Amino acid sequence: MNEITMLRDLRPVPPPAELDALRLATRQQFVAGTASKRTGPRWRMPVLAGGLTAAAAATASGVLVLTSSPAAVPGQHPTAGHAGTVVTTAWTVHEYADGTVTIYLRQYADPDGLQRTLRADGINAIVRPIPWVHRTVVLPVAGHQQKKAGNHALPGTAAPTCVYAHTDNAPAAVQHAAVTIVQQAIPAYFIIRPAKIPHTSALFLAFMANVPAGSGTSNLAMKPVVLRNTAVPACVPVRLASKSGPAPELAPKVKTRPTAAPKAP
Amino acid sequence: MTIDTQASDADLIARSLAEPEMFTAVFDRHSAEILRYVYARLGPELAEDVTAETFLAAFQSRNRYDGGWPDARPWLFGIAVRQIRRHRRVEARRLRLLKSALADGPTPDHGDRAAERVTAEQLGPRLATAVAALPQQDRELLLLVAWAELSYAEAAAALGTTVGAVKARLHRIRVRMRRELGGGNPINEEYDDE
Repeated sequence: MNEITMLRDLRPVPPPAELDALRLATRQQFVAGTASKRTGPRWRMPVLAGGLTAAAAATASGVLVLTSSPAAVPGQHPTAGHAGTVVTTAWTVHEYADGTVTIYLRQYADPDGLQRTLRADGINAIVRPIPWVHRTVVLPVAGHQQKKAGNHALPGTAAPTCVYAHTDNAPAAVQHAAVTIVQQAIPAYFIIRPAKIPHTSALFLAFMANVPAGSGTSNLAMKPVVLRNTAVPACVPVRLASKSGPAPELAPKVKTRPTAAPKAP
Repeated sequence: MTIDTQASDADLIARSLAEPEMFTAVFDRHSAEILRYVYARLGPELAEDVTAETFLAAFQSRNRYDGGWPDARPWLFGIAVRQIRRHRRVEARRLRLLKSALADGPTPDHGDRAAERVTAEQLGPRLATAVAALPQQDRELLLLVAWAELSYAEAAAALGTTVGAVKARLHRIRVRMRRELGGGNPINEEYDDE
């Protein structure tokens, strides 16, 4: 053994999940850097104006677009079996050689395209938009979902008309093996390992799509979960309040307990 | 755009002059390796930024790539080394942390090279000290060979020097490190990978 081999053994090595996350983040930063070097020193993911596809912008500006197959054209969706990266204005899906798939969500938009792209990568994915309206709503569901959407819904804000409150999830061990949530808030990063998703299961992801900026609410979005089976979860309708009336208060939950029977003497 | 997966890096870089997206394949081929190297030298906080900066610098200077090298690794590592150079203090702190971590005891999983790894870990704190004490250019060369696993010729290309100079410098580095580690066993073998 000599100094070289000893040093080699002592080399700090990132854990695989951390390396995955770093690779993804590096890729995004690299893409953004090639785009914004023309306009400023800070690296930012280019924000494309409505109607202008990434491909058109790339052609016009010479921006590097990460694609590695003819199907992987920005703004378009592959029909089957793409390899490499698909970039849209809303999200980027990249399939690594080892089968790992990463999802980078810049905007909550185009759930259908995201579902098609994930399925082309061999993931039985169910991506659903959470329907929403500019209304005041009261959510009949309990727990954190109510706090997340119901309590903050004010007249005129975007609010969901139904929520995926009860999904039948696969065991936690499957979730941990199949999904790594690097960052849940936008811009969100998810690492998916399709090989770890049972054939009888599906990956489920739902979010309020295409909510205009300044709607007075943050989008409701579910983190990706592996379902116990492939059945599409039910979106539980929420009760809408009157358009004209004041926002009704959420009735406090009162737990009633049966009166204890008097103790026998 | 289609990318020939069998094409050499030199071909891809040449094509990327007219079709910038061709550089994608170069990124995908080598980013993990560069990232691991930067991670080892600077840690997780800077690995992402410095690796992205490396590839951006490579992308911007691709018109100066020497097409005589089919494999772009030496070129990319050379750029990475220059990017890492801007973070000397971070690297110094990283080496101190490495020394402390090694001094705390060996890690449990040694695999099939248990004896060698235990030896390395026993000498680890002194080794980290010796590496930190090297002049910067010597440290860069040593770690390109040890951590990036470049050959002498590749390290020479990365650092813009000759193979002869690399051999001479590595010999001098090893003599110095051997002295600082106490000399003699177990560092008594020649590095004969070349």
